Amino acid sequence: MSFEFLDPTVATSISVPLAKRPLNLNGRVVGLFDNTKEQADIVLEALGEELMRNYGVKEVMTRRGIHYSRPAPRDTVEEMARKCDVVICALGG
Amino acid sequence: MSKELSASSCHEAIEFFYSKPWSDGMPVIPPTKPLVAAMLSGTRRDPSAVIGLVPPNFEALSVQRIAEHAVMAGAKPEYMPVIIGAMQAVLEEKLNMHGVQTTIHGAAPLLIVNGPYAKTIGINGGRGCFGPGFRANTTIGRTVRLILYNVGGGYPSASFSCFGAAIRYAYCIAENEADSPWEPLSVTRGFKADDNVITAVQCDSPQLVHDDANDDPKRLHVSTTDCMASFGGMNAYRATDMVVALAPDIADNFAKAGMSKNEVHKLLIEKAGRRVGDTKRGGLWRIERLNRYVTPVDPNDDSCWIPTIQEPSRLFLVVAGGRPGATTAVMHGWNETTRGVSVKYEV
Repeated sequence: MSFEFLDPTVATSISVPLAKRPLNLNGRVVGLFDNTKEQADIVLEALGEELMRNYGVKEVMTRRGIHYSRPAPRDTVEEMARKCDVVICALGG
Repeated sequence: MSKELSASSCHEAIEFFYSKPWSDGMPVIPPTKPLVAAMLSGTRRDPSAVIGLVPPNFEALSVQRIAEHAVMAGAKPEYMPVIIGAMQAVLEEKLNMHGVQTTIHGAAPLLIVNGPYAKTIGINGGRGCFGPGFRANTTIGRTVRLILYNVGGGYPSASFSCFGAAIRYAYCIAENEADSPWEPLSVTRGFKADDNVITAVQCDSPQLVHDDANDDPKRLHVSTTDCMASFGGMNAYRATDMVVALAPDIADNFAKAGMSKNEVHKLLIEKAGRRVGDTKRGGLWRIERLNRYVTPVDPNDDSCWIPTIQEPSRLFLVVAGGRPGATTAVMHGWNETTRGVSVKYEV
């Protein structure tokens, strides 16, 4: 005898595999995403300078979210996905 | 339509749920087709109607999914209108459920139910209303939590909540309208007294404040306003919501002194606060965070007063709990991105 019941979960979200990691950053475009929490901008600015100076990064593109408690705007996510080889997110505190 | 699963017995089905991240740690009732159909009889809404998108995965929530989770939580069909109303409020953008689903904090949406239907189905606003022990309160609150888990994907593994919180099992009360000397929260928020309204506010766990030694409002507010201004709560550092629930005996003492609900609301806002010199001794104080306040705060003036309630609309004042009880429950808020939401629901 079997007992039938319903699966209550919703699984239309698609899991996306992690993007392939580049071996180095030479000639790459690196995105820096600031989630707006205090001092994330300071950390990212220093990081961006270091990446340009010592890691051969071609260009750094900085974007800022609306608020750290809100999702990153879709336009920003899509723009960074289109233009950047690598994106680094930072949260302050 | 949901996928059908099978087990050899009801008990095995319950154990199956434990093998998935689908329960809150307590046993769930397996949502069989007959039980879900019976649950759907509690609402006139079409099972395929979508109520909203549940964060953080932003999956669509249908009435059918709500019914499945209501079965799992142990709810009765007549609770469905309240649960649907609760989900409408919880999923409204301005409540920012996404932020609370992923926060380090332990906040949860407190559901406050007003209107005659709460009484009809037995949502407790009186003695012991925060529980445990009351089926409607517990299972309505639990249904919301299970939906936030299974439809939103806000499992503990996805949440960053440092401690979690007991209020994340269930956080649902009625206002004790029968024992209140004043108009209910729903009326304060612009609805009619006989409207069925549910209000969701992102809140911390209740802090209970006791005062059986005073009936003069000048002294009666002191323990409450001190707790409201506590450096342990988020309201000391930013403009956010707060719920204060006065027990009927406390509300009566204010009313006997001739105070309206609006006057008590004003008194609490006027008296709850800290000065800059006190606030900057530690806690979350930081110069670059001053933009989280709405009122002007001069960091160089130690005497500058920082009101705990930064905007009057952020204090939700209700009467709840039983008699006797010289107690007030203070529920601190979360952050500046949320605003409490009230929804009139159809029965």
